[in-house]
Amino acid sequence: MCGIAGRILKDPGPIGRDLVELMDAQVHRGADSTGFALYGQPLESGYIVRAVGFERSRLDSDLEDFKSIINDQGCEFAEDPVADEAESRHVSVRMVVSEIPNLPRWTKAVDEISSRFEVQSVGKSLEIIKDIGTAADVADKHGVREYGGTHGLGHARLATESSVIPTASHPFWARPFPDVAIVHNGQITNYYLLRDKLERQGYRFMTANDSELIAVWISDRMRQGMEKPEALRDSIKEIDGVFTYLIADRNSIGFAKDKWAIKPLVVMGEEQEIAVATEEQAVRRIYLEEGDVENFDGPAMTHTWPVMMEAA
Amino acid sequence: MTEIEIEVGARPIREINEEIRSAAAAGRSVVVKDTRSRHNLAIGLGEGARVRFEGSVGYYCGGLNCGARVEIGRNAGWAVGEAMSDGEIVVNGYAGMSAGTSMLGGLLHIRGDAGPRCGVAMKGGDIVVEGKIGYLSGFMAHAGRIVALGGAGDACADSLWGGEVWLGASPKSLGVDTCEVEPDPDEVFEIESLLASRGLGKPEVDWRKIVSAQRLWHFQSRDAKAWLMI
Repeated sequence: MCGIAGRILKDPGPIGRDLVELMDAQVHRGADSTGFALYGQPLESGYIVRAVGFERSRLDSDLEDFKSIINDQGCEFAEDPVADEAESRHVSVRMVVSEIPNLPRWTKAVDEISSRFEVQSVGKSLEIIKDIGTAADVADKHGVREYGGTHGLGHARLATESSVIPTASHPFWARPFPDVAIVHNGQITNYYLLRDKLERQGYRFMTANDSELIAVWISDRMRQGMEKPEALRDSIKEIDGVFTYLIADRNSIGFAKDKWAIKPLVVMGEEQEIAVATEEQAVRRIYLEEGDVENFDGPAMTHTWPVMMEAA
Repeated sequence: MTEIEIEVGARPIREINEEIRSAAAAGRSVVVKDTRSRHNLAIGLGEGARVRFEGSVGYYCGGLNCGARVEIGRNAGWAVGEAMSDGEIVVNGYAGMSAGTSMLGGLLHIRGDAGPRCGVAMKGGDIVVEGKIGYLSGFMAHAGRIVALGGAGDACADSLWGGEVWLGASPKSLGVDTCEVEPDPDEVFEIESLLASRGLGKPEVDWRKIVSAQRLWHFQSRDAKAWLMI
């Protein structure tokens, strides 16, 4: 089933807290895993890298290897990496690195050790935090409620197509496009074919999850010169299956919904400040009072909401 | 007797439904406040129960209704009145997807528009929509009537087995295995009586009555291509 959500604030604020609320309200839609794509104050220089190490006891040597790989790519740690201090075998790491001369090449290089240390997001502003458990579990473990920022996405996963492991949960980063993330509710039936085409062009997918396709597919369309609204509309024609997905970058959150009109999406708020979610009762956690709610219930719909901070 | 007030807020839904039931058992009508679009409210109520929601409700409100009168002040989420067998549900705003799914009897009155698949798999009763019904409305319905004054979206009455869809305005398109028939004056009178019973005046419309073409009643796999939409 899965539940998705997005939030845009007019001014930087408690984006983590709001997204945790939106996902906590939809915990019954999928409690296998929960994830967040958070957009904070963009770095003037360098990138924020989020990664997962699969073996906590080996973290120090994995970080050594990671450091030596990025050094070879002309990039270095700008701050000391910070790891979560939970008991789990896997460990989530936040790193800040210097400017990356060639991000596709850098990504390819760090993916050499992805079987033990996998990069989950790279961006000036984006941080993807995802783990096994409910919204409350993940929020407590990773301090998500404390995150400030302008906008973000959330996802509650009910796994249908691939394993319940932190890396196969949402949001997915559009490897290797900085600051692009998606969350998806549904199933893609032709993902394997579309992935194959993208892999032949050199893109790399890290999981067997059908949703991982979407972000890369849209970003590749945009790399070829398509505007985002057009790429979203095009996805309805080309991507087969049942889907409502949200895609975020530094400037906007957009959505597309398939022609079968199965997966709901509602939005409340104004263009400058919105909450969007699978279920209305989730956005009502943010907007307690009755107000105008827009239901995207029809078939084949898209929309893009701008993030005003970035446009200014 | 005065109404009993129940606040929803962040309280457990089971507790609220129990309070609604107790009030109904005592013959008191209920007004429910601060609903916050929450799911599964007023499920399985029987004859004599009277519940009014002041705001919007979430999924399955009034589901399995077997005689109660339920009114929703604003919008309803997915599948309002699912599988109801008797009673009356009024939605004053918009009804989300699959309103009246599998309903067996009773009346569902929607003052605004209804979302996709309104009356899907319906097996009896009436759905009156003052606005428009969405994509695939009446899909695979077996019996009952859907009356939509504002017309319908794409694939209206798709794969209808039985029952009737009455439209006061054109559908965007008709679904497969549908057939538009000229209604008898007696039938039009019945529909107008239904609307009058809902306090709606006689509409100045050219009624379009959609029924099953009944070809799918005898499905043959060799004909499969005729039914493929993709």
